[in-house]
Amino acid sequence: MTLLQRPVLVLLLLVTHHLLQCWIAFGSVDEEGQKQEEFNEELLLKPLPDRTVLAHFHFQSSAPPSTSNGRHHHLFPKAISQLVQKFRVKEMELSFTQGRWNYERWGGFDPIASSNAKPPGVELWAVFDVPQHQVDASWKNLTHALSGLFCASINFLESTSTYSAPEWSFPPSSGNLRYGTLPREAVCTENLTPWLKLLPCRDKAGLAVLLDRPSIYRGFYHSQRLHLTSTGSGSKGTDSGIILNQALTVVLQPIQPNGQRASMDHASEKHIQPSWSLSSIFGKQVRGRCVLAKSSKVYLQLDRGLVAELKRIHKENEKSVANGLTSENFWSYPSFELSANPDRIVVEENSLHSKSSSILYNFQVEKYSESEPLDLGLTWKIPVVWLCQSAPLHSSRYLMGSGNERGAIAISLKSTQLREGFMGAFADNERCELRVDVFQVVPWYVKVYFHSLQVFIDQQPKAVSDVIEKIHVSPSKDKVSPGMMEMVLKLPCRVKSAALTIEFDKGFLHIDEYPPDANQGFDIPSAIISFPNFHASMFFLEDGSVNKSPLLSKFQEKSPVMSYTEVLLVPLTTPDFSMPYNVITITCTVFALYFGSLLNVLRRRIAEEERFLKDKATKKTGQLPLLLSKLSAKLRGRPWEPPHSPPSSSFFISSKLVFKVILVAGLAVSWQYYFS
Amino acid sequence: MATFINSKTIFRLLVLPCLLLYSSIAHNSSSVEATMHTNNWAVLVCTSRFWFNYRHMANTLSLYRTVKRLGIPDERIILMLADDMACNTRNKYPAQVFNNENHRLNLYGDNVEVDYRGYEVTVENFLRVLTGRHETSVPRSKRLLSDEGSHILLYMTGHGGDEFLKFQDSEELQSHDLADAVKQMKEKLRFKELLIMVDTCQAATLFNQLQSPGVLAIGSSMRGENSYSHHLDSDVGVSVVDRFTYYTLAFFERLNIYDNASLSSLFSSYNPSMLMSTAYCRRDLYQRRLEEVPVTNFFGSVMETIHTDAAYKALSRKDSGRFKAQMSLDQSVHHHERRTLINVNDQDEILNTKAEDQQGASTCPFTSFYEKLRKGENVDSLVNYGLVAMLPLLGVSSWLFQ
Repeated sequence: MTLLQRPVLVLLLLVTHHLLQCWIAFGSVDEEGQKQEEFNEELLLKPLPDRTVLAHFHFQSSAPPSTSNGRHHHLFPKAISQLVQKFRVKEMELSFTQGRWNYERWGGFDPIASSNAKPPGVELWAVFDVPQHQVDASWKNLTHALSGLFCASINFLESTSTYSAPEWSFPPSSGNLRYGTLPREAVCTENLTPWLKLLPCRDKAGLAVLLDRPSIYRGFYHSQRLHLTSTGSGSKGTDSGIILNQALTVVLQPIQPNGQRASMDHASEKHIQPSWSLSSIFGKQVRGRCVLAKSSKVYLQLDRGLVAELKRIHKENEKSVANGLTSENFWSYPSFELSANPDRIVVEENSLHSKSSSILYNFQVEKYSESEPLDLGLTWKIPVVWLCQSAPLHSSRYLMGSGNERGAIAISLKSTQLREGFMGAFADNERCELRVDVFQVVPWYVKVYFHSLQVFIDQQPKAVSDVIEKIHVSPSKDKVSPGMMEMVLKLPCRVKSAALTIEFDKGFLHIDEYPPDANQGFDIPSAIISFPNFHASMFFLEDGSVNKSPLLSKFQEKSPVMSYTEVLLVPLTTPDFSMPYNVITITCTVFALYFGSLLNVLRRRIAEEERFLKDKATKKTGQLPLLLSKLSAKLRGRPWEPPHSPPSSSFFISSKLVFKVILVAGLAVSWQYYFS
Repeated sequence: MATFINSKTIFRLLVLPCLLLYSSIAHNSSSVEATMHTNNWAVLVCTSRFWFNYRHMANTLSLYRTVKRLGIPDERIILMLADDMACNTRNKYPAQVFNNENHRLNLYGDNVEVDYRGYEVTVENFLRVLTGRHETSVPRSKRLLSDEGSHILLYMTGHGGDEFLKFQDSEELQSHDLADAVKQMKEKLRFKELLIMVDTCQAATLFNQLQSPGVLAIGSSMRGENSYSHHLDSDVGVSVVDRFTYYTLAFFERLNIYDNASLSSLFSSYNPSMLMSTAYCRRDLYQRRLEEVPVTNFFGSVMETIHTDAAYKALSRKDSGRFKAQMSLDQSVHHHERRTLINVNDQDEILNTKAEDQQGASTCPFTSFYEKLRKGENVDSLVNYGLVAMLPLLGVSSWLFQ
């Protein structure tokens, strides 16, 4: 009987086990058949014209809106979902950046430059889904939570003098948006590690394995970004869907096999771009995908300018060699060689603003494994020189004036070759206008005079009302809020250069408000210049693949071209911090001298002094017995004592003692009397 | 004369409740002292800014690595670094910090969790961490969430002087501030034992004002002495470690988590000629003998796991029984220690031991009565006792006033 029962039991167990497994596996699927939590990892590599390589990691985790699962997540980081739930964050972007994006060399028009190039330090903006009066409290709590999460001093953004509420420079938010930057915040390993911990595979598997700390931080520029949007009804207390985009952009210099940096090359091969591979720029290879990721892809992007240049070279080659290459077969160009065969080649749809289109080589990480790692490399065979597409106007910002009292900030916009190229078609139109949005925050101790705003177009001063269509200014309040300026400029299309200047006075800080390294100067955060007429988007012909890549769909988003200006360093008058002590010492000395002498004059009695002098004169005669007593003391070997000990004090003490004794005796007598 | 005797009896009667009250207080305090060591915390502070103070950050990170290696988890370490050296533009080795010329060990590995950094490292924040007086929004990772069973290691390094330690070249922490903070921590039951380790010039002077029991303090140098750096790394360009910390690490590198080296062996490992200063240890506030205290009591976290094979209900019963046993054991240990103490000058403690002695003698009817009273069992009998006790009192007083 038992023998029969056992297999049945085992079978039953097996079945339930399987059922359980299935249930666990599909646990995140709702009854309504909603989407599952997803994670995608992608890496985009791109050679840059100045012999460097751009690597852009993009990780996307998404949690669907779910009512039944409550707070359980499979892939989505719990820390982030708790953050969203607690502070009702609708949209948030946090970036940590070190170095400055070089808009001239690395481009300013493509989606990476325009939405992933960030100002140095920390930048945070967030939109909250709470009533207006709670926004500031939510912001404060959010900054503290983020500072704990990312090991950074983001909590300095809690004070009202560090953040502002822009109205139209960011996504429309009806006053629920807060923006703050910390230009001097250091960015290092301790910020990257918690960021990586949000990924399901951390940096143990998948593309994140490449993130070797020393090689990343050796680069010219690195920016780690976290962008989240929560959709659905967060206000009803239900779990809303969240999409978390984590991007890390680094610009690295490939290390040559001989250990030298690429720039050390010989003069003869000056124009040959350095060859690189994943192992030469990161020191690591991709050994398979993160198993939790839905898709894991590596792209190699050839810039529009580079493709155009290659086509030109190719045509010349065809003329001479006439080898029958199809124009689609780009990767077998004789000008360069790839170490791995791409799985797919995606060509950008011809964009409006440029003549050629960029090319993406797609590599599926699934195909590679521990034994056969992906070490994507690019070897150049012929020298290529190209330029990245830059923003319509190149913006820069600088300080004017000298001294510690006043100065001026100038923002200059210069036209680039791009604008001349394709705006030429519109240029003949007299009414053609170029819209430029400027957003600028200045700390309160830089007291900006908004009336002193001046506009120069092609070195000619213009009336402010002619150029500025719309302006929103919120002046700074001392120690309360920073000054903020939002402007919409309308520039003529033919403009060669434009400049805005605004004057300021330097304020004084309280002695406690100076940072320990005040002598280094104070930072004015980057201004944001955006060009709403131009969209930094790339459209790729997807060959009907079901799983659309999040990175490519991010590229296709219509976002205006944006650029950040430099951070300005303003030297303020810094006191010599030992000065207060000097002042105190000198004042005390003066006071002591004054009051001492005054007291001396007031208290001095001439008559008494004369008598004292007389006494002294008499004492001189009675010196002999004193001397004698001294001598005798010495002979006896005892320390000499003055002959007259003060008897009054001893008498006083004894009288006190007597009084005490009497008091105690009286008390005792009364006690006795009472009890008898 | 007769009246005198009478007043004496009255006095005795008055003393009795006083004694009762006192013994109950004494008992309470002894039960507080007997809490088990349950967890370990570490507060590691580097107070110096600027690149040339690289060694102070390397000191702190070395200690961080050591305590992490010996078992204190990251969430129980509060790390305060006043400047960013690892990703400093002057650092030739980005994202790496070394404490030795041989560059064998990167202290700034992949998993460093810095809780306070840069401008956040101020005297105010330091004292807030110690005393636990934070704003409500401060996250848990930035708080010292210790309790009365915690052993805390407080390591500080920077530039200091006679009774002060500089923070970021602009503020000072004075020995009074430190002593007050520690006293407050003691009163708030935020630690059981505290080890303060300071590597700075004239470090010993920083401990002058300490007065809370359970505190052990080690400083790298005496009053009037400087603490020197150990060696210069010509690749990094600055000195990379201080002597005191270097030899502390040399001691710890030999240990693993299961080693039983005592604190006294650590202290005796400091050689004044190598240190070029005299390491000073203030141990008069610390009751236990240093020979018996393993270094892992402060520098590691050795958790005693209690194995249970039943569900929660059984566990709680079993656990409480075990805890009681542990408590009595602990008490007896205390007993032993008190006897071995050479100069007990604290009146309270003597009385305390006396009270415990009384308890130990179970034959004493008074203690059994007291026990009943304390437990609050059968209140009725207590009232009866009280009434009976009132009778002689009444008799005596009436006899007196005859």
